Amino acid sequence: MYKLLLCVRYLQTRYLAFICIVSVMLGVATLIVVNAVMSGFSTKLKDRLHGVLSDVVIDTDRTDGFYIPDDIGNPLTPDQITAKIMASPAGDRIEAVTPTIETFAILQFRYRGTVVAKPVRLIGIDPEGRAHVGGFSEFLDRQKNSPHPSFDLTTEAMQRHEWKVKLFERENGPVVVPAPKQPVVNTLNTIPPPSDDAMTKEMPKPKLHGVIVGYAIAHFRYTDDKKQVVEEAALEPGDDVIITTAGGDELKPVWGSFIVTDYLKTEMSEYDQSFVYVPLEQLQRIRGMNQRATAFQIKLKHYEKDKKFVTDELKKLFSRSPEIRVATWEQHQGPLLAAIDVERGILNLLLFMIVGVAGFSILAIFSMIVSEKYRDIGIMKSLGASSWGVMQIFLGYGLLLGTVGCLLGTGLGLWITANINEIEAHLSAMTGVTMFPRDVYYFKDIPTNVDYFTVVFIDIGAVLIATVFSLLPAWRAARLHPVRALRFE
Amino acid sequence: MLTARNLKKSYRRHAVEVRVLNDLNLEVQTGEFLSIVGVSGSGKSTLLHLLGTLDAPDTGSVLLDGRRIDNLPAHERDALRNRTFGYIFQFYHLLPELNTLDNVLMPAYIHHSMFSWWQTRSQWRRRAEDLLKKVGLGHRLTHRPRELSGGEMQRTAIARALLMNPRILLADEPTGNLDAESGGEIVRLLREINRDEGVTIVMVTHNLEIVAATDRVVRMMNGVVTDELPGRPQSFQPRLAAV
Repeated sequence: MYKLLLCVRYLQTRYLAFICIVSVMLGVATLIVVNAVMSGFSTKLKDRLHGVLSDVVIDTDRTDGFYIPDDIGNPLTPDQITAKIMASPAGDRIEAVTPTIETFAILQFRYRGTVVAKPVRLIGIDPEGRAHVGGFSEFLDRQKNSPHPSFDLTTEAMQRHEWKVKLFERENGPVVVPAPKQPVVNTLNTIPPPSDDAMTKEMPKPKLHGVIVGYAIAHFRYTDDKKQVVEEAALEPGDDVIITTAGGDELKPVWGSFIVTDYLKTEMSEYDQSFVYVPLEQLQRIRGMNQRATAFQIKLKHYEKDKKFVTDELKKLFSRSPEIRVATWEQHQGPLLAAIDVERGILNLLLFMIVGVAGFSILAIFSMIVSEKYRDIGIMKSLGASSWGVMQIFLGYGLLLGTVGCLLGTGLGLWITANINEIEAHLSAMTGVTMFPRDVYYFKDIPTNVDYFTVVFIDIGAVLIATVFSLLPAWRAARLHPVRALRFE
Repeated sequence: MLTARNLKKSYRRHAVEVRVLNDLNLEVQTGEFLSIVGVSGSGKSTLLHLLGTLDAPDTGSVLLDGRRIDNLPAHERDALRNRTFGYIFQFYHLLPELNTLDNVLMPAYIHHSMFSWWQTRSQWRRRAEDLLKKVGLGHRLTHRPRELSGGEMQRTAIARALLMNPRILLADEPTGNLDAESGGEIVRLLREINRDEGVTIVMVTHNLEIVAATDRVVRMMNGVVTDELPGRPQSFQPRLAAV
């Protein structure tokens, strides 16, 4: 009974111990906030990585696409390959499959009178099929979360496109269409001339092919004189672009003209600065890849449960084609995800060392408190307290300090995490330094993700550290000779 | 009742050994109020510590009712100090974080676990309050030691020493830090306790004026008892205190 009483009284009266509580509190709060922010970044990154890639990807390095010959040596079409995949043992665990072409390209467009050229990753897709295999429409700007995304222009975009054509004609003169030549009249066995109606009918307009460009390709960000981040659109829906890539047997330059229909906004600069989506058929036509694809994106019904089985079966299915790779999205992004986990592990280790430093402060302060309490220890022993009982007082004191520090630190850490954007805004306003530059991170808010298991783990670790570091002073207190303790001045 | 037999005790200070008790023998009778006097450094406090098992002799033995107590296991010596002996120190030695009532209750807190304390707390609180009223501090239950005078602190220490109904009180210079009047009050209180409750008291002092109130006085010099002096002229009536 006396142990608990003295622990609580020491906590209430020894203000020096508040330093220990504050140390533990700050260490725990820091760990919680940093873990929450890192986890938020990591989760958002993984979501984006998984969203842009489907569950499983089958791809090939061949620039002319999959070459899987049928019985007579003709390459299987994407539909035939899809049927082959669905007919395999993995088929009943697959929800959707879509073919794509992925290649490098250069995107050109006019901006403020100059031609801008950007290297991009060009992906030919069937937009509805792509939406079925994973996150695609959720990252579109105009067709966000649409179940049937497309490359169609909106009315406004079409109007903008026509206005731009007229503006070009006004600036550069109308396009002259030469009059058709009159045929030579030969009365003997002559073919009748074409009718005037056919000659004067309006020529059919060429088909406009849409393109979905990464948001950062179409927009420029800069900081103005007032230190505000300004975003300017270089490309808007309705603007035309030229995409140049390589195609054909000898990979010669080929190009196509497209009209911007939408933006891709994943909030990951790596994708928003480079990804460009065009219709699969148009890209096949441009590259001379008739009925071919370079990748198949697959969505599973139950990813975690079936990923190993499906990848193993598909590897067996394509085992005769060594240039074909089968991998999950995690294996595709393995190095990046591993880097994130390693960074997080190292950061946690370093931050736990901060709590370890708090432990050393507990050791120092407890040693001082035990020295202050020499006489009290002598009194307690003279009244019949055992050495183990005296040790328990100080161990319990360390445990109590650790627990109080933990509880306060957890509350503080969770509060900071919940209000981190407001705190960042205040700090940035106070110091004049932007703590979280939006143009660097491309996130609107600081992402956070509180894992309560991690919070509990941090709390247990901090309490253990506090208790362990109070062990030595407590042991010294227990070993004190009562007579020497009573005489201590 | 309490016997010291051939006690020897030395302290080592750096390379120098200081012999404090030099083959000391002493008998304390049940119900007796014994004073031990001597100059500073004669070993009075050391003897008290050995009698109360706060320290262990180098050689010799301490016996209580014929049973050796200086070589008992630690937990048995702790139990003796909690229930059989009561201590009163020159500098009171109250715990500064606790109020008067909690200081007096400290031996009971040490004796009981949390569960058993919960069951018996009311009777212990009543006993503590009665003891404090007896020593004249019934109105100071919630005061901290720093709010008490020297005499009040010593009376609190006496109440604490009596809480567990000890058989023997060991008082080490109980008036050493008090003025003459307060010191006299303390000795009168101790005399009352000895007379009314039959508690055996062994008091160490260098103040020869207060030993007149005691039954017997022994003088120590150079670590041995040199002679005995009568205290009160009439013989004492030993009364066994309830164990």
